[in-house]
Parts: sequence; C-alpha cells; structure tokens
Amino acid sequence: MEETALRVTNLRKSYGEVHAVDGVSFAVPVGRVFTLLGPNGAGKTTTLEILEGIRDADEGEIEVFGQRVRRIDRATKERMGVLLQEGNFEPHLRVKEVLRLFSSFFRSPRSLSDVLREVSLEEKENAFVKTLSGGQRQRLALGVALINNPDLVFLDEPTTGLDPQARRNIWSLVTGLTESGKTVILTTHYMEEAEALSNAVCIMDHGRIIAEGSPRDLAAQLGRETLIEFVAPPGKEPSPESLGPSCKAVRRDGDLVVVETEDLVATMARLLDWSGTAESALAGMTVRQPNLEDVFLSMTGRRLRE
Amino acid sequence: MSAVLSIARAQVAVTLRERITLFWFLVFPLFVLALMTLVFSNVGEDGGDMTFEITLVNLDRPSPGGADFSSGIAEALRHLGEPREGGEDPLFALHVPGEDVEPHAYLDEELAALRVGRRAAVVVIPQGFSENAARAAFASGETVSSKLSVHTSGGRTSSDLAASILDQVFATVDREILTRLGLFDAGRSVVLARREIGTQGREFRYVDFLLPGVVLMGFLTAGLFSVPGTILFGREQKILRTYWVTPLDVPRYFAGFALGHVALCALQFACVVLLGRFAFGARVDLLQPVPLLYLVLAAATSLAIGFLIAAVARTGNAGMAIANIVNMPMMFLGGLFFPIGELSPALRAAMLANPVTYLADGLRASTGAEAGVLPPVATVAVPLAWIALCVGVAAFRLRLDEKR
Repeated sequence: MEETALRVTNLRKSYGEVHAVDGVSFAVPVGRVFTLLGPNGAGKTTTLEILEGIRDADEGEIEVFGQRVRRIDRATKERMGVLLQEGNFEPHLRVKEVLRLFSSFFRSPRSLSDVLREVSLEEKENAFVKTLSGGQRQRLALGVALINNPDLVFLDEPTTGLDPQARRNIWSLVTGLTESGKTVILTTHYMEEAEALSNAVCIMDHGRIIAEGSPRDLAAQLGRETLIEFVAPPGKEPSPESLGPSCKAVRRDGDLVVVETEDLVATMARLLDWSGTAESALAGMTVRQPNLEDVFLSMTGRRLRE
Repeated sequence: MSAVLSIARAQVAVTLRERITLFWFLVFPLFVLALMTLVFSNVGEDGGDMTFEITLVNLDRPSPGGADFSSGIAEALRHLGEPREGGEDPLFALHVPGEDVEPHAYLDEELAALRVGRRAAVVVIPQGFSENAARAAFASGETVSSKLSVHTSGGRTSSDLAASILDQVFATVDREILTRLGLFDAGRSVVLARREIGTQGREFRYVDFLLPGVVLMGFLTAGLFSVPGTILFGREQKILRTYWVTPLDVPRYFAGFALGHVALCALQFACVVLLGRFAFGARVDLLQPVPLLYLVLAAATSLAIGFLIAAVARTGNAGMAIANIVNMPMMFLGGLFFPIGELSPALRAAMLANPVTYLADGLRASTGAEAGVLPPVATVAVPLAWIALCVGVAAFRLRLDEKR
C-alpha cells in the first residue's frame, strides 16, 4: 500500500460570506507531484497557506505522513519546505546570508554549498537579493524551501512572472525533487506546467475541487475527440453537419474555430472540401489532443486564465 | 548559529547597509552632538551678554543699632542686577522673596529651581549673620567662618561661572566688613560656605550634559522609527511571512529582533561617546554599572514604544507618521538637550508622563553630570511601566502577517 504524504479532508475557510475553500479533500502519495490547478481566486493559495501553517482552517482535517495535526506545528514544519507565492527576502542581505538565516531555523539544515549548487546560485552567493533577477530570486526561494532537506515541498505558483527559460529551469529543479523521493504540492494556473510536472492534478474553482486525476485521465474524460483549430472571421465557420457524422461539435473561441472529431481523417477531408467551397483559408490550422485547459473549459465554460 | 543570533545578525547587517536607516541611526546622533556642542558650549563662558539667574534669600534680621552686613551684601547683589554701562544686560537677574512670602518655603522652591537649571545660584544669608560675622571678625585666628551659603549646581557651566563671580563679590564684601571694623588684614577673610548641588569638585561642560541626552535621543529614534519600520514594511513586503512557514516561532523572532536592536544601540552609543570624548572633550563617564543599566532600560523602553507603534499602525507609512508625531515632543519634553525650565501645567503634565524625562534624569544623576530632580525609584519605575504597557498592547494588537 502506498504511503500517504498528505491527506486533507473537508477543508473549509471562509471570509465573511466568501467561501475561499469549500470542503476540499485530497490525498497525495509519497514521492509524487500533486498540482492544484485553477484560475486566480479558485482557492488554491488559501488551501496551500492552510497546509503551510500561515492560515488556520475553519474546519477540516489534515494528516501529514500519517500524523493527524490540528495546526501545522513546529515538528511538522521541520519536514516541510515552502516556496510562497507572495514571499520576499530582505533586499540588503546577500544570497548566502539569506540561506544561512533560514538554515538557523531548522534542527538539521543542509550545507549552504549543497543548496547553492542545487539551485545554481553558486556564482551569486555574495550578491545582494535586490540585485537578483526574477528567476534568480525564485531559485533562491526554492533554495530556502530546500534548506532543511524537506520530505514535503509546497511550491505556490513558482513560475508566475518568469520568462520561458527561467520557467524551464524551475521545472527541471522540481523534476529533480521527485527523483530524490520528495513529495511536491504545486499550485499553478499554467496548464502546460501542470501537464509537464504532475502525477496528479486537482482542478479547483470557487473553492471547490471540480476534477481530480492524472493529466492524461482528466483529458480522457472528454472522450476520444481530436481537436482541429484554425482562425476564421466571425460567421465563417462550418456547421457540424457539413463535416459529417464523426464531427462532434464546432465552437468558436474568439477568432479561433475549434472542431471536435472522433475521426480525424474523415473530418479533415470534409473540412478541406468546405474550405474550398467557402473560400476559407483555414489559417493557422493545428491538430491536437484535448488538454487540461479543455477540461476546465468544458466544466466551467471559462478559460483558466480568464 | 541559533535562530535568535541569526536574526539579530541579519538585522544589524540590514540596518548598516541601508543608507537612510544608517543616517538616522548613526550619522544623525553624531551630527546633533557635534552641532549642539559647537553652538551652545560657549554660552556664558565669556560672561558677555549672559545674565545669571541668582536668588537671594536674606533671613538675617539685624538688631537695631547693631552691625548690618546682610544689607550690604543684598545691596551689592542688587547693584549687579542693574543694567551695565553701555546698555549691556545686567550680570545678574536677582530674585528675592516678596514681603508676604514665607522665606523658607521660597528657599525650597528656589533650590528646586536650581536643580532643574532655572537658577545659576541661590545665596542664603542666614539668621544672625550680621551678629555672628561681627563677633567672628574679632575672634582670634587667621580664618573666621561665617554661615553665608551659596548653593550652586556643580554640573552646569552657568552655575560654576555664577559661583565664581559671587566669590569675587563676597570677597569684596568681606574686605568691606573687615575694613569697616578696622580689622582689614590680607591674611584674614570671612570664608563663605559653598554648597554644591550635584557632583562635587568636577568640571563639567555643556557637552557633558548633552552627551547622555544625545545617546538617549539615538536610542529613542531607533526605537520609534527602526522598530516599526522593520516590522510594518517587513509585513507589507511579505518578508516576515517567509519566516512563519519555518519552525521559527514568534518569541524567538522577537528575541532576535530585540538582541539586534540592543546591538545597534550599543554601536550607536560607542560612536556617540567616542565622538563626545575625543572631539569635544566630554568627561562624563557612562561606562559605569548604573549608567549602563539605565542605558539598557532606555534601549528596552525605545524598543517597547516601537512595538506599540507597530501594533497601532496599519501600514509602514502610518507607522512612520506616528513616529514623527511622537518623536519631537518626547525628545524636547524629556530634557534631552536643555534642562526643563518653567513649563505650563499642560506641558509639565506631558513632561511627567514622558518616559524619556525619567531616563534622562536617572542617567544624568547616575553619572553625576546633573543633580537628579526626580525620585530615583521613579526614574526606573516609570520606564518599566511604559515597557509593560507597550508590550501588553502590542501582544494583543501586533499582527506579523495578513489575516490568519
């Protein structure tokens, strides 16, 4: 039987009439990357901050490595590492001073040089925090989260605001964590990030979990359709009937026309015929499988980043 | 290294690296010390336009037809209270009790005024002075003692100067007495009894008065601005919340914070004292056990007031505004730079509610730089009460993170 790193049952947190977290339950096996995915305001960060010990829940049970905890206490924090969505370090401290400061908070910290190497900040160890780039600051924050060699790592939107290269760097660090057996709880509103890193995804909206499973399983819930997308002006899209019985739906998303089909070859042939008749160029046409964005869209009628 | 030491060390490093904080923490106290010493240290030392506030209490009631030397002394002092030639201010502003005032009660009030610097000297001509002086002048021996008393405050330049002038005045009167009696002799004199209030026999200057005040000002500024600034801006900028996801707890954080504050105060103290001693020749010795205890009490009080401001202010800017509002009254109604003179009842009440008044009084008294005006117990108890009040309020109201 798989050991559970974190189990959350019926977690609730309200601010007045607003239910920020409304009965959230999930379990995360050891050594997995578990992602809370959802738009801004979905309740991901509040859920995470309760689990990190920053906020108190109104209701619910939390179990960390088999131990039920009413609040996240000091002993639990010794096994946790946290990268906050909104967290900063003293701008007038040097990188190694920040790491030294945080290492003093734990009973068994790692050596600073190991951490600096892991987050690739050896050359910046004497740099002041205020001089670091966004990506370097996030790597420092990750280094701080890993200073105690934690078993359970919380990463709250670790790549928000970073450029693609910096984002890739963080992804490779997260992948390295799971390879060393650590459990990672991740929040993001980047669908591709969740797909690239997660063993399991929990999609949240309005404080509730609306879907849970591996990225592949969730996408499969939409059926076996393939998506054909192209750009066309309003009123210039084919009807589902004109594309034959294998076409399940045609919908518009701004300038983008999305065709859902169970038989790509048959529908594509019909679509090319329609293109010639309707004198539509099928500009920017792509063919892809459904992803988590489509899952969210099909369940809420909204996009993740709306 | 323990978390407490690490936090203290980080706080010191951050303070010393941030230019604005560094200015207020270190440069400003040194600047104030230098400026005020240069501007005010020579006041009264050349006797130029300085007018000394002198009190004369004449308790002598010579018998009719008997010797009356007290009137001569009073006349001499009154003469010095008149404008000088060339329109210059008089040397003395002479205070004497009114006819309907009970002289002993008046004397007590004037001695109190001397202690707080409102008088440079108090001269007392005791009852029976004339009779005793006449009798003593005929007595054998080279030196004859009388009971004329001059009360001065040994810690003040103005008081020392006034005493010196009074010595000359009384030496003249002395000669006059002996001459009138036909007993003048270079070897004979009537010795006046000088009673100093404050340190005996040590030469103090304005810088010796100012130095403890500037040290306290530095502590106060650090507490009022640096403490709430660190906490409130740390909260706003989400620096503190990175601590609360670690095993660090609030008591250890505050212990480290307090240690860092005390270390910075010690550094500031060292710089101010070194400048005062080597640049301006200050002689006041703050490195004694009792003054050091007062300094620790002052650092703790400033820290507690800083916590109080951090607790009541919603934002960092609000905290700085509150600090600005309370800083000046606390400094100037605490007697840090000048002795507290005559105040209106409202200002006097504010002065007595101000912990800085007690710290300054206790610190100066403990060094001998100034006679203590307030009861020694109060100089410790009132700051302690302020610490208890501030910490109590902060414990209930201070938020170290957003809504939890």
